[in-house]
Amino acid sequence: MKIMKKVLAGMLTAAMLCTMAVPAFAGDESISLTLWGAEEDQALLKELVEKFEEQYADFSFDIRIGVESESTAKDTVLTDIEAAADVFAFASDQIFDLQKAGALATLSEYGAVLENLAGKTLDDVKAANAAGAVSAATVDGELMAFPMSADNSFFLYYDKSLISDEEAASWDTLLDAAEKAGKKVGYTLASGWYNSAFFYGAGLTTGLNADGTTAIDWNTVSPDGISGVDVTKAMLKIAAHPAFQAVADGDLSNQIASGKLCAVASGTWDASAVQKAFGDGYAASKLPAFTAGDKAVEMAPPFGYKFVGVNAYAENIGWAILLADFLTNEESQVARFLQRQIGPSNLNAAAIDEVQENIALAAVVEEGNYGIVQMVGGKFWDPTATFGEKIAQGTIPADDDAAIQAALDSLVEGVTAPIE
Amino acid sequence: MKEKEAREIHKVKKLKENRTSTIAVHNIVIAVLAVIWLIPIIWLVCTSFSSYPGMNTSTFFPAEWSTANYAKLFHPDTVAQFPQWFKNTFIIACFTCVISTLFVLMVAYATSMMRFPMRKPLMNMAVILNLFPGMLSMIAIYFTLKFFNLTNSHIGLILVYSASSGLGYLIAKGFFDTVPRALCEAAKLDGCSEAGIFFRIILPVSKPIIVYTVISSFLGPWMDFVFAKMILNAGISEKYTVAVGLYKMLDRSLINNYFTQFCAGGVLVSIPISILFVIMQKFYVEGMTGGAVKG
Amino acid sequence: MPDKTERTSAVEVFKAIGRFFGDFGEAVAHGDLWTRLSLIWMGAGYARRKKYFRAVVMTLFEIFIIWFTIAFGIRYVSKFGTLGTVKPEKVFNMQTMKNEWNDYDNSFQILLFSLFTLVVWLAAAVIWFTNVKKAYALQKLAEEGKHISTFREDVRDYIGKKFHVTLLTLPVLGVVIFTAIPILLLILVAFTNYDQNHMPPTNLFSWVGLQNFISLFGGGSLGASFGYAFVRVLGWTLIWAFFATFTNYFGGILLALYLNSKKTRLPKLWRTLFVVTIAVPQFVSLLLVRNFFSNGGIVNTICARIGLTGLLRSAGLISTSYIPFLSAPGWAHVMIILINIWIGVPYQMLISTGVLMNLPADQLESARMDGASRFQVFRHITMPYLLFVTGPALVTDFVRNINNFNVIYLLTEGAYTTTNQVLANAQAKEVDLLVTWLFRLTQDYYNYKMASAIGIIVFLICAAFTLIAFNRMIRGDREGTYQ
Repeated sequence: MKIMKKVLAGMLTAAMLCTMAVPAFAGDESISLTLWGAEEDQALLKELVEKFEEQYADFSFDIRIGVESESTAKDTVLTDIEAAADVFAFASDQIFDLQKAGALATLSEYGAVLENLAGKTLDDVKAANAAGAVSAATVDGELMAFPMSADNSFFLYYDKSLISDEEAASWDTLLDAAEKAGKKVGYTLASGWYNSAFFYGAGLTTGLNADGTTAIDWNTVSPDGISGVDVTKAMLKIAAHPAFQAVADGDLSNQIASGKLCAVASGTWDASAVQKAFGDGYAASKLPAFTAGDKAVEMAPPFGYKFVGVNAYAENIGWAILLADFLTNEESQVARFLQRQIGPSNLNAAAIDEVQENIALAAVVEEGNYGIVQMVGGKFWDPTATFGEKIAQGTIPADDDAAIQAALDSLVEGVTAPIE
Repeated sequence: MKEKEAREIHKVKKLKENRTSTIAVHNIVIAVLAVIWLIPIIWLVCTSFSSYPGMNTSTFFPAEWSTANYAKLFHPDTVAQFPQWFKNTFIIACFTCVISTLFVLMVAYATSMMRFPMRKPLMNMAVILNLFPGMLSMIAIYFTLKFFNLTNSHIGLILVYSASSGLGYLIAKGFFDTVPRALCEAAKLDGCSEAGIFFRIILPVSKPIIVYTVISSFLGPWMDFVFAKMILNAGISEKYTVAVGLYKMLDRSLINNYFTQFCAGGVLVSIPISILFVIMQKFYVEGMTGGAVKG
Repeated sequence: MPDKTERTSAVEVFKAIGRFFGDFGEAVAHGDLWTRLSLIWMGAGYARRKKYFRAVVMTLFEIFIIWFTIAFGIRYVSKFGTLGTVKPEKVFNMQTMKNEWNDYDNSFQILLFSLFTLVVWLAAAVIWFTNVKKAYALQKLAEEGKHISTFREDVRDYIGKKFHVTLLTLPVLGVVIFTAIPILLLILVAFTNYDQNHMPPTNLFSWVGLQNFISLFGGGSLGASFGYAFVRVLGWTLIWAFFATFTNYFGGILLALYLNSKKTRLPKLWRTLFVVTIAVPQFVSLLLVRNFFSNGGIVNTICARIGLTGLLRSAGLISTSYIPFLSAPGWAHVMIILINIWIGVPYQMLISTGVLMNLPADQLESARMDGASRFQVFRHITMPYLLFVTGPALVTDFVRNINNFNVIYLLTEGAYTTTNQVLANAQAKEVDLLVTWLFRLTQDYYNYKMASAIGIIVFLICAAFTLIAFNRMIRGDREGTYQ
């Protein structure tokens, strides 16, 4: 028993040490804030933070900038909300999960801060940004984050030296033209973000229930009279075309660089890679239309935004609100566009000439006419990715309506499953 | 005489076996195997010398050679701070290695050379704990470290890598089990304390097992990215270890600009480890198998 | 050298516990004033026998435990039953620009710190009982007029017959804090509803009994998908562990034999070349190989160029325009095992080489002279010897492969999309091991309760396997064999 005694005595000493190591917060001379942004944004954020500190020169700040990609912000934040950054950028589809976990500060509670120190109201913020961005940042009638950009969608890049603008307007002509040119058309089927564009286009929908589960009607007939089976058949037909190439999610930029593609569906983040690959033929437009049943259908991709949110558990939450607002104001959004070609959500920033002349952004704006805000819960992604992969690999028989219906039913069952 | 004859016959047989043609075939097979094993490594090295920053999917060898990737690694930007990562990992690995080696030797000695009432229960507990998947306890370890205020610190990582290292004592114990008991008994009769036996008799003959423990615990921090990623979660690039830093280079938005740098980083990490392995190979093997073999 | 005092059968354990409390009872019954005073003041017995250092240590220890309990432990343990009831609420203060929070509960913290406190209390209780017995023992020594050890003698004991205490304290402490408590914690989580809807700090979670295990085996609100996924994943885990262990084991032995052959020229050089592949960190080599074999990767490009892809397509073996090395079931399963051979065989080769070098040479020679063929020598001498020496390692390797996270995760995460809708609905894939599945459940879905339940099942499987294997393979204790 002696050994146990010593062991435990040692443990207690360690326990004592650690209780004392819990920090007491130092005096409030310097306001400390942490900020997360994408790897590529680091230089820009540094500049913006310096400007922020200049604007509030009466106060001394200690602002630390960390790297966290907008696409993975939710995962890191939710692992330990209290340890996450005070201010962080994230993609709009994460807002529901973040809000549900209580990670985001409800901005209206801090209206006084904006009024007293930034000289504007929350309504000014709403009015300054595109209506779509504001509505996507609103959950249960409350604005939960500041819109930062409005280009998180995808559209068609094509090489106009091989494909004419008319040919790029529909899948049938596009694929035939690509086959003639001996090249391929790349599209990511195995992802609910990309493949839902077919279903949304046909008027089928998804939605988010109050309990966090997803509502989906892809196994029914849409108000436009197009059934999920028709859409799936159209997708299978496209996927079976010899000029079609299913690209794995995340492998897109490799495929673009490989030079095998003459057209690809992607977003502004690949603009420079595509420009390099297509050279003078570089062109972009809305996604091509497809034929479901006997109707021509325009695709409707999820149209997303990037937001800057404030951690509800931030220590200096008032200052965090101010910083988040500053990082997304007109001036900052212009700077972001000039450095990184990211499409502003701020209406004034979007109106400047440089933005208007950008080819990729013009395509995003055009796509915005068709795009929709994707409302889905966490259970949406795996089942839809699998559904897309099945289409890509052709494991669903294209002429068997019953089998397609069964596959859709099974998809719906997975997506609508309760969150356990 | 008969024995001699038999030996002669045996020799002749051997000579026949060793005819040049069979030797050639034998060595060619080995060469082919070695090539198969080395192809990915060769690809790694080649790609690290490519001038194109993304992944090359059309040809095995890069279209254009360049040393730019290595140059970039040593001129850090906000994403890649390789020298800093290397230093961090090296420091963490050194501390981990010292603590782990001490712990392993201490536990192995106590369980192998000494007899005390709690010995068997403790050993059984160790077996049971080793059966749980380590991944599962990650979140709990994270919060334990957070409670100690040690997340995002290298001390925290060192603790994660070394604190439980006592559980890996079995190989060293097997080695100590082979040390003749008589040696220790004699020392005891000469008035040597247990500590004296540990330091004067056991440690000097334990070179292989020490090398083995040192190498395997030194390598841990270079290889692990799961725990490191979780504990260094503030996104501060200067604090990353090599594994986390390189892993993050393959992030979807970065891979196309950093893939070849990732390869170059991989090569740079592998070189010292390879050298360590090649030099210490003999001891490493002896340590690993010594426990069972020596008898 | 079987040691009678070391028997650990259940009866012995209970007897030991009984003796422990029996001695304590005797100490209380027959102890003098100071011994009994030790019940309240832990340093009393020592102080009476002039062991002042120990008296001070024990007194400080007692004070610490009381302080620890009041200032820390009781706050959490009192909420252990409910795991907290107060949700966070806040008021913004414009003056300080900060939120003023209520004293809210965090279920995870309550669970962790309660556990921590309980472990400390358990330790304190053991020390308290032992302390009283020690005081009594000292009293007896004093009464019999025997020598009571001095401070110096006590210290010397810790490098002498109590050297194991000195050696084991820190390692055991490390294991308790960084392995045992976390594992206990997650065992407890398996009986709560800690998931995305109940995530601290904003939300609370609570006890749900066996609900998670019921869901895992196909009952509950989830329908059959979790149960189905569990069976599929478990099946592949076992198949994988079997093949990964044995291909590496025999591959390594064969390679070692081949390299050790007298016909090999420059054996050291070849061995070194194989060893280099071990030295590349797995996350580099595996991520590399994954891109090597990806759908649009270099191997596919080459296969398409030489017409292999077309050949397989016309033979009906693939339906895609690429060879789905790591993206279709079957293909991926085989590739993963092959790549694992690539990763693991050099390592096993090193071990086997070491063992083979010690192969009893006289046996080999005489067998050869008796005209035994090379295969016979291998079958009757080399292999039995290898199995004898490395057999136990096979068991641990099997368990390690059941939990082999790296290979599967690095080769398939983000690269493999399942085409099985039911598996996808449970967030599983055909190539998942139980560990990678539970990792994804915690990382992407914050489904800690199911992950913990799966973790417990993994443990039970490993435990059952280890018990059976060790009982079959290694009868009795081997540790005395060589001494």
